[in-house]
Amino acid sequence: MPVNVWTVIRREYLERVRSKWFILSTLGGPVFILLLMLVPAYLLVGGKQTEQTVAIVDGSNVLYELIAPSVEASGFEVKEERWYADVVSTLRQEAIDGEIWGFMLLDELTLETGEAIIYVVAPPSPIRQITLQSAITQAVMKYQLGKEGVDVEALLAGGELKLELLSEKGISAEQPQFWVGYLGAFFLYMVILFYADSVMRATLEEKTNRIVEIIISSMEPWHLMLGKTLGVGAVGLTQLAIWIALGSLIIVIGMPLLIAFNPGIAELETILSALPGIGMIVLFVCLFILGFFMYSSLHAAVGAMCSTDEEAQQARLPMMVLLVIPIAMVSVVIVEPMSPVATWFSLFPFFSPFLVWARAASGGIPAWQIGCSFLLMFLTILAVAWVAGRIYKAGILMAGKRPTLLELWRWVRET
Amino acid sequence: MINNEYAIRLKSVTKQFGTHTAVAELDFDVPRGVICGLIGPNGSGKTTCIRMIMGILHPDAGSVSLFGGDPDDMRAARVGYLPEERGVYKKMKCMDFLTFLAEIRGVSRLEGKKRSADWLERLELDEWADRRIQDFSKGMQQKIQFIGSVIHEPELLILDEPFSGLDPINQNVLEEIVRDFHSKGATILLSTHLMDQAERLCERVCLISRARKVLDSDLRELKAKERTGVVVVNYEGPGHWLDGPEIDRVDELNGETHLVLKDGADHQEILRRGLTAGVKILRFDLLEPRLHEIFVRHAGVDSIGEAGALNDTTLGVQ
Repeated sequence: MPVNVWTVIRREYLERVRSKWFILSTLGGPVFILLLMLVPAYLLVGGKQTEQTVAIVDGSNVLYELIAPSVEASGFEVKEERWYADVVSTLRQEAIDGEIWGFMLLDELTLETGEAIIYVVAPPSPIRQITLQSAITQAVMKYQLGKEGVDVEALLAGGELKLELLSEKGISAEQPQFWVGYLGAFFLYMVILFYADSVMRATLEEKTNRIVEIIISSMEPWHLMLGKTLGVGAVGLTQLAIWIALGSLIIVIGMPLLIAFNPGIAELETILSALPGIGMIVLFVCLFILGFFMYSSLHAAVGAMCSTDEEAQQARLPMMVLLVIPIAMVSVVIVEPMSPVATWFSLFPFFSPFLVWARAASGGIPAWQIGCSFLLMFLTILAVAWVAGRIYKAGILMAGKRPTLLELWRWVRET
Repeated sequence: MINNEYAIRLKSVTKQFGTHTAVAELDFDVPRGVICGLIGPNGSGKTTCIRMIMGILHPDAGSVSLFGGDPDDMRAARVGYLPEERGVYKKMKCMDFLTFLAEIRGVSRLEGKKRSADWLERLELDEWADRRIQDFSKGMQQKIQFIGSVIHEPELLILDEPFSGLDPINQNVLEEIVRDFHSKGATILLSTHLMDQAERLCERVCLISRARKVLDSDLRELKAKERTGVVVVNYEGPGHWLDGPEIDRVDELNGETHLVLKDGADHQEILRRGLTAGVKILRFDLLEPRLHEIFVRHAGVDSIGEAGALNDTTLGVQ
């Protein structure tokens, strides 16, 4: 590779990595995701926000013990009241005075149908209504089924479906992870598109501010495009590497520490077992690299043949429409990763980065198909780069109106 | 290398944009080591011509050679280029930008840094070395771009309207640098529509008008050839020697005597007559034409700011 390609790579890389934006997004990204993971978990486990008191008048004499813990878990303070003649009017006054948030009446009928009455000054949010209602029905079930000797706790927790793989068709020995399939595919889509878009913007910027005239008079257009793409790609890889490193650090060191200091959130440990393994991370990085080169070459060509941002957005519309297909297919593929539809779609190079990932995450792709998709993507990159390089060379020094498809074809043939 | 005596050689180069011919069958040579001015009205094809030399546009017909060889092999290291429409990486620090430009032309990073620092000091911009270019004034940006075009110490410097938009002081600074490069043996091609500047700076001029070359010659020879036929004289003694067949008329202008000669008349004859008449001749000055006058005479239009003239930058890009 000529020396000046390295110069372009170096400039592209350093200018981006040193930018405030890069530092913010690289460090802010994991913090954001961590918050997204931890805050709900924390709230779910032990977060007690505004303490509101609910009085429970238990006419059934058995339900209070069963119901109180789950009502407390959803953020209430619970107060037991005995049944007496004026209890309703007394509590009513307390609620109006603001001493309690409201009160609940349970009786024999509750024990049979799960019906109960709650008296409140202001209506609770739909979510609170649902949690309170499920607290009641669960308590009733526990009481009724408990008499039959059923392990209601396990049943209510959703039971468990243990998976035993009989063949070696799936490559992943890990448990299928649906959310990893979904989130990973979307994440790939975001990073690939983001960095490909950066290549397009950079190309467009160079073209519109005319610096490209100076650079092209010192080097081959094709080399400039190569340098820019590699430089931006390296920035993307750096960001992924930092994210992976930070993520591992948080999980390996941070989580046990957090749990050690606060045993109350030990449930977080379940998150650990659901994280993707090293094999999946390597696959992710490979898919990013291949996907990035396919899409960034196309974006570079679009940037080179347009003169304004609006034009470029318009010109890449067909590409974006094409990209909707794999994203829409992700859910289909995750459900049936071995189906012919999933196989064929995931082998189409432009869809592969997202769908191969989705299939791998749901444990439904043979190793040879991964290899095959890599090969196809690699060949596509060569073809796309060849075409894009020609369009780039012809387009980068042009101004004025965007070329028609016919003109583009001529550029590719004649350049 | 064949024919190394010419830094630039264009052979019947033609460039068309659609139906408009921007440059027509242009033959144009720049010998090594001269400062050559490419002059012409707006829209005459100057920028198109320069862009073809720089490989930004490709001629429809004809050939371009630099230093007698393939221009593509020469440009990066041996040619410096300041385009008319100037671009910078606005977000880059000035020093990094200059070092980058040096590096893509084959100068090592270390050397590039050193040269950038030297240039910034020379142009009194050293305090700005670590500032981003977006904070620079337009004139400062232009100086940075100028440095960028010379940082790899090219043998051939191609400057498209290098002085436009600069104040006279900075114009002089850059002019000085151009002269400096010239004295070190570099060849310089600059396009301009400022005739005074071309007259001050250039040894050769090439005048292009309506896509065609009108004049291409050594400036001194050109002026001699284009003499107006006016002699300014100052003398003591009788004035009868001024009556002669060579002289069309005698004007008194600002206290000077201007002799307007007839076409093809020999001024030596008048001088001889004066001397034999015993007149004491204090001044006998063959008035040289200004480049501006030559320009107007040959370009057929008044050069600058000609309303309705086609602007070559808009055409140069289709």
